[in-house]
Amino acid sequence: MNPISKRRGVAALAGLASAALLLSACGGNGGRDSDALQILVVKHPLTGPMADMGWVAEIEKAAGIEVEWEEVSADWDQKKSTMLAAGDIPDLVIGANAVTDSDMVTFNGLFEDLSDDLEALPNVAAMFEAVPETELMATRPEGQIYSLPSYRRYWPQTATRQYLNQQWLDNLGLEQPTTWQELHEVLLAFKNEDANGNGDPDDEIPIDWAPAGEAGFGYFAPTMLLGGLGLPITNGGGSGYFVEDGQVGNFLVDPRYRELVSFLHELYADGLVSQEVMTQDYSTYQSVGRGEGDVAKVGFSWGWTASDRFGPQLAGQYVSTSPLLGDDGVDPGDLAWSYDSYSLNFGLNTITMSAQSDKKEAALAVIDAFYDQDLSLQALWGEFGQNIEELGGDSYAVLPPSDDTLDPSSWKWTTTLADNSPGWIREDIEVTLPSDIQEAVEDAEPLADALANIDPATDIWPGELIKMNAEDSSRLSLLHTDMLGPAMQRWAVWITEGGVESEWDAYVAELEGLGLTEAVEIHQRYYDDYLASRG
Amino acid sequence: MTAATAVRPAGERAMRARRRGGAGPARHFRRYWQLWVMVAPAIAFVAVFAYVPMYGLQLAFREFDFTAGITGGDWVGLKYFHQFFESPQFWTLIRNTVVISVSTLVVGFAAPIGLALMINQVVGRRRRKFLQTATYLPHFISIVVIVGMLQVFLSPTSGLITRFAALFGVEGANFLGSEAAFVPVYVISDVWQHAGWNSIIYLAALSRVDPQLYEAARIDGAGRFSIVRHVDVPALVPTMIVLLILNMGNVLNTGFEKIFLMQNPLNLGVSEVIATYVYKIGILANQFSYATAIGLFNTLINFAFLLIANQIAKRVSNTSLW
Amino acid sequence: MTGPITALRGNTPGDLVFKLVLALSCGLVLLVAVYPIYFVVIASVSDPTMVSTGQVWLAPRDISWFGYEQIFADSRIWNGYRNTLLYAVVGTALNLLVTMPAAFALSRREFRPRRVLMFFFAFTMFFSGGLIPMYLLLRDLNLLDNWLVFILPSAVNVFNLIIARAFFEYSLPDDLHEAASIDGANYFQFFLKIALPLSMPILSVIGLYYLVQHWNDFFTGLVFVRDYSIQPLQIVLRDILISNQAFSGGAGGAGGAGAGSYAQQYADQIKYGVIVVSTLPVIMLYPFLQRYFEKGVMIGALKG
Repeated sequence: MNPISKRRGVAALAGLASAALLLSACGGNGGRDSDALQILVVKHPLTGPMADMGWVAEIEKAAGIEVEWEEVSADWDQKKSTMLAAGDIPDLVIGANAVTDSDMVTFNGLFEDLSDDLEALPNVAAMFEAVPETELMATRPEGQIYSLPSYRRYWPQTATRQYLNQQWLDNLGLEQPTTWQELHEVLLAFKNEDANGNGDPDDEIPIDWAPAGEAGFGYFAPTMLLGGLGLPITNGGGSGYFVEDGQVGNFLVDPRYRELVSFLHELYADGLVSQEVMTQDYSTYQSVGRGEGDVAKVGFSWGWTASDRFGPQLAGQYVSTSPLLGDDGVDPGDLAWSYDSYSLNFGLNTITMSAQSDKKEAALAVIDAFYDQDLSLQALWGEFGQNIEELGGDSYAVLPPSDDTLDPSSWKWTTTLADNSPGWIREDIEVTLPSDIQEAVEDAEPLADALANIDPATDIWPGELIKMNAEDSSRLSLLHTDMLGPAMQRWAVWITEGGVESEWDAYVAELEGLGLTEAVEIHQRYYDDYLASRG
Repeated sequence: MTAATAVRPAGERAMRARRRGGAGPARHFRRYWQLWVMVAPAIAFVAVFAYVPMYGLQLAFREFDFTAGITGGDWVGLKYFHQFFESPQFWTLIRNTVVISVSTLVVGFAAPIGLALMINQVVGRRRRKFLQTATYLPHFISIVVIVGMLQVFLSPTSGLITRFAALFGVEGANFLGSEAAFVPVYVISDVWQHAGWNSIIYLAALSRVDPQLYEAARIDGAGRFSIVRHVDVPALVPTMIVLLILNMGNVLNTGFEKIFLMQNPLNLGVSEVIATYVYKIGILANQFSYATAIGLFNTLINFAFLLIANQIAKRVSNTSLW
Repeated sequence: MTGPITALRGNTPGDLVFKLVLALSCGLVLLVAVYPIYFVVIASVSDPTMVSTGQVWLAPRDISWFGYEQIFADSRIWNGYRNTLLYAVVGTALNLLVTMPAAFALSRREFRPRRVLMFFFAFTMFFSGGLIPMYLLLRDLNLLDNWLVFILPSAVNVFNLIIARAFFEYSLPDDLHEAASIDGANYFQFFLKIALPLSMPILSVIGLYYLVQHWNDFFTGLVFVRDYSIQPLQIVLRDILISNQAFSGGAGGAGGAGAGSYAQQYADQIKYGVIVVSTLPVIMLYPFLQRYFEKGVMIGALKG
């Protein structure tokens, strides 16, 4: 290289940065067609492309203009906060709780208030009429409607069923336990003897449960046992709120919770609980439940259905059982269980519309189409012909998977939006359910009495039906972040190492100091308003 | 661009310039325009993509109000800083963060140096290449998988390492569910993952040692260990100082994802750090102003440490970042 | 050309001990470093239940290629590879074009503004305006959904700039430049003819750092890009991974009541397969760069 060309080279190099900037300014391809109705769908990761769903054509027909689908199946939360904060949203956002109550409060003005558009939404108005809970779920405290829920009707009232390995019981000649004490004895037998009969007396895990987060309790957690002391919980426990005699409480500081922790510690100290119960992730927890071949490893646990929890090969060994009485003093008429219907049969915030949309008419037409009788069914279980058979006269049957490597649930999630879709399953139609929902409903039968003891109107904390204003919801999220960390840590330590009896009073004082009392008061205020509004 | 010359009063500058025979800036540019051309693209990129968005920092002092725009919310001054300082978690968060980051810094700083010195001693090009490649590979394993592997290896019932520990009389240790083991597990796995990768820079530094120095040392009768100490180590010192200064600017930084994935209720007492707290409070609960304020606090502390480290380095070794 | 040692004959007893310790520690390091990689490879073809219950650690068990089949069955992956390759090559080229001259200029002690400039750069390692202003800026520059977003905002990594500058400072003695300027070389010539050839080790290290940064960049695609056709490999792999990690964290709720056991079963296998698929190209590249770390480069350049 001679010096001149070299100098030119470096100068060119210097200019490259600015040139690249210019290039980007000219070459930008937004790629979005502003004449089309833009719909963002937050799908389940298994779900295939929208273009493959037969019923989508009908939605597009309802829109009357071209529809552009944007499909998101991973990391929605991270994408979302930037998108919302920049005010950059499509005409419609679809997906179960894709836009949360907290988003609606924070990004005030970004979403269209649908409360004055109900004439354009006859299906939605009819749903509000037929299922009043849906209107409660949609309406903000100040009366606006920024998003609409879905109603699925056929799901069981609880997500968690309680399973016991009947084959192990039979092998050891034991009876099904009905109280915590009897459970303790059965678990001891599982541990001390070779319950699964594979010749190794030490490979049985008598009891195992799902990993709890640091933010509270979810499904399949041992908080289910609180029902045995007459304490009705929702959604597996959540942050601990419950209602008793019109009073909101938090079980994290309730003596019955102490009793449960102390019982679980007895089990743990006897070596009956999986040693990894506090540290395993969900996938390990599920793998262990599947045992080895036809040898089961877990004696007692909680799950959605037996085949989901233990795998199709072992499911037959397990039976679902009734709630266990905590102690002799509890009246069986007070037995309770986790009431999850508001989160299972309803989908919160499934469709949201942009306030800046300049295709309002088309967007409203799409929203209402989703709540059409036939489209609701198809969006939930799949298209007519392939996934659902029309039997005529408002009767339908959900068909088994045509791909026989898939179970009904995976089939549903693969071929349609399923639970992520808005929709309204009418009360006056007839649907033959797929086998996964049938199994869940059947396995829930032993829980029926306990669930019947609960009156959803007065005995539970109806979190899904209550909308809080900006100030309270932000205050609560702060209080919960500060409060739940220490509480969950104590839960784990007390169960594995003990100490609940001696440390309880200090712990209660600590949580109250961290704002638990204030948090309960906020809940109480909203609950009183809720009761008043329901008359 | 005139920042450097602007630090002195104009009059004095003019006088000095006259003494050198020419107007200051003009002379400077005539002499150094080529250097300016070389540094200009970098300045442009940093100005656009790092400095322009910095107006967002004022969110830490404002209420986030979507309708008014990011910077249109009410000015609340230090409200969110106070909120953080008065948070019941404050001291726990600081303590946990510092313990984790300082242990990682210390061990993570030393390990790559040792590794580079060691690899450099290996005779034979192929062997050295193989060793180098092998040690830098774990860097590419994603954090999710690293934590998944920790779960498998450290499982109290079936884990390879737990079973190995049992041979030495440590029975049924629950490394993942213990406060005492959290920091060691975090630090060791971090070093294991990144030491090889981080040693590359030192290997590059060792490659410019003049072979004649080795010859001379050998003739002076130095043993191999003594050659490492007196020839190799000094060659690494400049790189070490630069990295040490940069590391000091990380006292309140910890990896977010790995800690978050390793968290469970049993170790929460030591594993809740500023980064995970900000995630829980800021991202999950839409508290943008609060999250920005905590982030800014973090940055200020880090930056202060960097400034101090830089000053010390300048005094002691005449090396500094600026 | 090999290491410094072959040239030196004769072993003292101390050297023997040294050799022994060296051999042992190399063996240990090798074991500790190689095993996890080996584990990832065998886990990617083993039965996932066996892996997560700790039964796979020496050899694969119940070999199945399901994970790889799933990964490569996805047509998006080739597109992802192509995009990532483009971003990595073009991006790294731009990175080096911007970083190396700047580092050189900032290393010249006679260049007085360099201290202020270094502060100007270092400051951005700490203070940033956050995601939202960045998003708005990129939108104004028309960089959202534009492939240049993978290249332009990351054109300068200040850490790499500082490292490169430190190298120039150390490996270019002042008298070298004086000698060169007596020969009539200006800064451009000095940089291209002397500084760069002398700095091949650091050029390759910085190049590698940048390349890997582009290769692993996942966040840019996640937040700033919605057009799938320009998404990089990491996003594609992430989507494949997630779609098979269905339902972890609990069935039911808004997520999906009724977990599919199908997906659960293979999630882990795909997780390990993804590591192999995404890392292989970078591993193959390394030996090419490695020769610049060998001894003698500098001396050779000086003589030639």
